Amino acid sequence: MSDEFNIKNIAKLASINLSEEEQDSLSNDLSIILEHVNALSDLKLNSQQQEIFIHPLEKELELQDDEVVESLTHDEAISNAPESKDGKFVVPPSME
Amino acid sequence: MSLKPTIGIETHIELNTNTKMFCRCAVVDTDEPNISLCPTCIGLPGALPVPNKKAIEFITLLALSTGCEITSKGMFHRKNYFYPDLPKNYQISQFDLPVGLNGELEIVIDENKDYIQIERVHMEEDTGKSSHSGSGRIESATSTALDFNRSGVPLVEIVTKPVISSSKQAVAYIEELRQLSIDLNISEGRLEKGNLRFDANISVAPEGSTELGTKVEIKNMNSLRSLERAIDYEIQRQTKAFEEGVEIVQETRHWDENKEMTSTMRSKEGSADYRYFSDPDLPDMLLSEDFIAEVETLMPLLPKAQREELMTTGLSLSQSNILSKSDEWIKKLYVKVFDQTKDSVASYNWITGELQGQMRKANIEVLPEWFNDGYLPEIIELIKSDKISFTSAKIILTEILTTDTTPSKVAEENNLYQENDSEKISEMINQIIQENQDIVDRIKSGEDKLVGFLVGQLMKQSNGSVNPGMAKELLLKELED
Repeated sequence: MSDEFNIKNIAKLASINLSEEEQDSLSNDLSIILEHVNALSDLKLNSQQQEIFIHPLEKELELQDDEVVESLTHDEAISNAPESKDGKFVVPPSME
Repeated sequence: MSLKPTIGIETHIELNTNTKMFCRCAVVDTDEPNISLCPTCIGLPGALPVPNKKAIEFITLLALSTGCEITSKGMFHRKNYFYPDLPKNYQISQFDLPVGLNGELEIVIDENKDYIQIERVHMEEDTGKSSHSGSGRIESATSTALDFNRSGVPLVEIVTKPVISSSKQAVAYIEELRQLSIDLNISEGRLEKGNLRFDANISVAPEGSTELGTKVEIKNMNSLRSLERAIDYEIQRQTKAFEEGVEIVQETRHWDENKEMTSTMRSKEGSADYRYFSDPDLPDMLLSEDFIAEVETLMPLLPKAQREELMTTGLSLSQSNILSKSDEWIKKLYVKVFDQTKDSVASYNWITGELQGQMRKANIEVLPEWFNDGYLPEIIELIKSDKISFTSAKIILTEILTTDTTPSKVAEENNLYQENDSEKISEMINQIIQENQDIVDRIKSGEDKLVGFLVGQLMKQSNGSVNPGMAKELLLKELED
């Protein structure tokens, strides 16, 4: 088990089940990735360089006016639901 | 050891835009499920979010109105989680670069002002509504049903610093924030409809300690009353635990309105558990100086300034506060009535007391069309000049609220004008004295209380038209002679 992260907790947050074997191998992989990423903090950057965000889109944010555009009908929206009842999507029980 | 509670409040305000935050689906107020959806707000693959300009304006307006520093280069973040109420598996929110930082809100409790520091003001999209089926308790639900009409509706979240020290302060803060959102015209501010939702972070620590205790988050408070009671309950619970040496766990607790207690909901996620990262679908949000200047032009007279203005008419701080939190027509009516009477106390008392009281009793929600701005000043003047009694004034008000008439007409038609002619009153007094000689004798032998009986007789005989103060004075004089 890594000192820096808890693989079981990460699996829980990602909502996936991992076998003991998978936990071991993924822990190794993640440790290597973390080590690599940690190397970035050794870079000596000035404050301006630190302010650069890495964003895949080099464009300005576009805003839209607050005007309604019709889209899916109720039937279209719900047509792909695995299950529905009384006009609602039905999923396995889940609560906060 | 004396303990000191520390409270921070997170409030979500639903913005009253026509469309959702990242798509142009209509914001609807209906029980009919799933009728305002598109690929974006139900998280279909490939759908891309485009922010609502009006929502960004509203959030900036709220940030400016609370004196926040505006982040000129803001960012949208994904807050990752797996509840099905947002089918994308993340909520678009803002993390380290919110719209506004470090603001302040003035609150009023009785005749005192206080200031609540605001940590941040940021955008968040609302979730869909889930309901759980199956019998009995929520834990034994067999399925979850989802309505995504609310999914993606714009919210502004306002987070205070941990500076609130009592439930009373917390309630005053929410009342102020609610009024602010109404005056800014960014929300209807209706708690019962969920327009405003709040969670409280509460901890206790020894008085004088510089460190805060372990904080517990309280959810599910749907009214100001439940906010007040939940905070009081939680402070008591934590104080007891602290005194008994029981560890206070960092967790989210649920306020149960019926049982009047909080209970464990889940162990609290740390912010790292949400694995925030910048949303690659949304470029940085640059708020230009021009944009901010444009938003500033929308700024109305804020509740704080309204109070200051009202106080210049002679009202106290608490009276000004009550008026500033009243409906717009009441505020306007006060100004008009005061302008005509120059009597702040009478104007305030008649509007917030008798007028609103009678309207509530008669289920009248808006003043009738014929109700002239001059009517209340006329009534106030009639009382001041001793032409009518207070009781008659109330009768007049009832009439003009339900019938298209005027105060003077009602007074005339119902003989409500007071008799102020001392000769006429003396004549009536003499008659009463003659008819009640036995009572007069008893008064003269020391039974002072019976004077009231004679005044009563006089009022009865005159159909209440005699000025009671004058009548008593004249009666006493007559009895002495």
